[in-house]
Amino acid sequence: MIHPGLVRKYVGQSMLLFLACATALFAFAWVRVWVVSLLDTGQFRTILEQFREFEKYAPIEFDALFTYAGRVGMTFDEPIVILCTVIWCISRGSDVISGELGRGTLEMLLAQPIRRSTLLLSHATVSIIGLALLCMLVWAGIGIGIQVTDVHESLPPPGFRVPWLSFDIPLGTAEATKQVIPLRDRVPVETFAASTFHLFAFGFFLLALSTLFSCLDRYRWRTVGAVVSVYVIQAVMFGLGKAAESLSWLLSLTFFSCYKPQKMTSLFTNDGWSAPWSLSQVIPGGSLAPLWYPLILIGLGLLFYSAALLILSRRDLPAPL
Amino acid sequence: MPGLVKTLELSKHYGSFRALDDCSLQVHRGEVFGLLGPNGAGKTTLLRLLLGFLRPSSGYCEIDGVDPVIDGVAVRRSVAYLPGDARLPRHMRGSSVLKFFAEMHPGGNLDRSRLTADRLELDTRRHVAFMSTGMRQKLALAVVLSLDTPLLILDEPTANLDPTIRAIVLDMVIEARRAGRTVIFSSHVLGEIEQTCDRVAFLRRGRLARELIISELFQRHRITGLSNRPIVEVPEHWQSRISVRTEPQGDRFACLMDTAGDLADLLPWLDSLQLSQLRIEPLGLRAVYDAVHFGTDSAQLEDEA
Repeated sequence: MIHPGLVRKYVGQSMLLFLACATALFAFAWVRVWVVSLLDTGQFRTILEQFREFEKYAPIEFDALFTYAGRVGMTFDEPIVILCTVIWCISRGSDVISGELGRGTLEMLLAQPIRRSTLLLSHATVSIIGLALLCMLVWAGIGIGIQVTDVHESLPPPGFRVPWLSFDIPLGTAEATKQVIPLRDRVPVETFAASTFHLFAFGFFLLALSTLFSCLDRYRWRTVGAVVSVYVIQAVMFGLGKAAESLSWLLSLTFFSCYKPQKMTSLFTNDGWSAPWSLSQVIPGGSLAPLWYPLILIGLGLLFYSAALLILSRRDLPAPL
Repeated sequence: MPGLVKTLELSKHYGSFRALDDCSLQVHRGEVFGLLGPNGAGKTTLLRLLLGFLRPSSGYCEIDGVDPVIDGVAVRRSVAYLPGDARLPRHMRGSSVLKFFAEMHPGGNLDRSRLTADRLELDTRRHVAFMSTGMRQKLALAVVLSLDTPLLILDEPTANLDPTIRAIVLDMVIEARRAGRTVIFSSHVLGEIEQTCDRVAFLRRGRLARELIISELFQRHRITGLSNRPIVEVPEHWQSRISVRTEPQGDRFACLMDTAGDLADLLPWLDSLQLSQLRIEPLGLRAVYDAVHFGTDSAQLEDEA
């Protein structure tokens, strides 16, 4: 099924890209958590309230963003995280056949007594493990950020609340005190396990799609172009579906609807650690239980990989270009 | 000799274009079999069909009794193949490439690969990306020639090589034959084919145009001379061995004959023609190649002559 020699070759081939993406993702996730600590939650609320009418475009309700967990969880929707993941998936996926064909190295490889499926699966193993490691590094960056970052919080002076009126009356003239609290006391690192899994599922889908297109094609540039086109079209469908009620049906046709890392953060915070992993409890505002969303992406990815295997085993492999 | 490689009416069509058309041939065990033909004649298509890279449109082929469409892995286990344009992973050093391919093929052996690379005067410490075209060709040759397989398929192995290394490669091909291995050798350099091959097949526009035993080629001659007679009569029992053309040249006639078979038998008859300015030269592969290419008379001489 998998050839160790091929795996070593693919590791060597992708190492530079992996190190670049890994460094960017880990460092960014860490810095992103530190940036969260720089903003006072109260001030943050004031800013966000002004954009309430745009809440429908946000992946989660704004109220979740007033929490540290919600703001850290936004990391998974940051363009740098998405970009690095997409770069890894498209570059590795497009490499397997059309990339090797374009470089002219496929002929010598396939002249060896290996099955085409062995070649594809060896490549997929390296790419998928690389993707999993990149996702883990995002989580690790967030985890380390949470461990070493302190946040400043304002404690209101002592007072009492008038019953039925919900009105607070201070019990003195003292000002609010500020205290420094480690972020780990506010946000457990496990909060982002499900979000990390969503990022992996998102990447797996793209990786498999790129691999499928690569198995169909002989030019890598065309493979990359085709995958990017699908990505952009799906993103536009997602945007339109969110923007217009009459086009909301588009949301069920785009894979972006299955990428809900911030929702998972919110579920963990509100309903406990097991909530994002449920296969039966439908999420608020959604139509499926939370675990189904990444499973759909992974299922589609497996379908693409199966199609890629089938196509590769039957297609003619043209001479180098 | 039993056939190691067989094709039967093998064809590969791309729409209306026939890259290979009804090709039936057999390569015997232990021989060096040459493939000749102009660019686009179908040589590489034939090799790629044999290796299972392409699926035939019709017909059948097998190597050592195994159909590459059914079990390509088993076929490639018994084949060492050098593509016409061999390209190797650019991120690897030469030594890593040798190690990689020695591990990939059951017939591979790293020590043998290194020895072959040394013999080809290749510095394997360099990255492939920084190697010249000739060095990359040497590296590919070191990979392929060191594999211990019954069949060696070389598609233009001496391209981009200097004359010294060309000679070494041809020596290695001859050594492979001495070791009992079968070699399919595709090249545009006719001298190399003459030097190494036992038999040769000519492909033209996807069709097998002609097969030739090289030892018989050495019994082919071109005879030119001036005759007083406009027509040279060839005895009936030699008509299959001799083709004659005459054309006026001044007040005499230029006579051009292509002969097959032992020349000694023909000498008395030649003497009786009383040709002047007589010239006899080996016909050579070039003439046969041109004959196949342009369809001239000498191609019509019977092989068994």
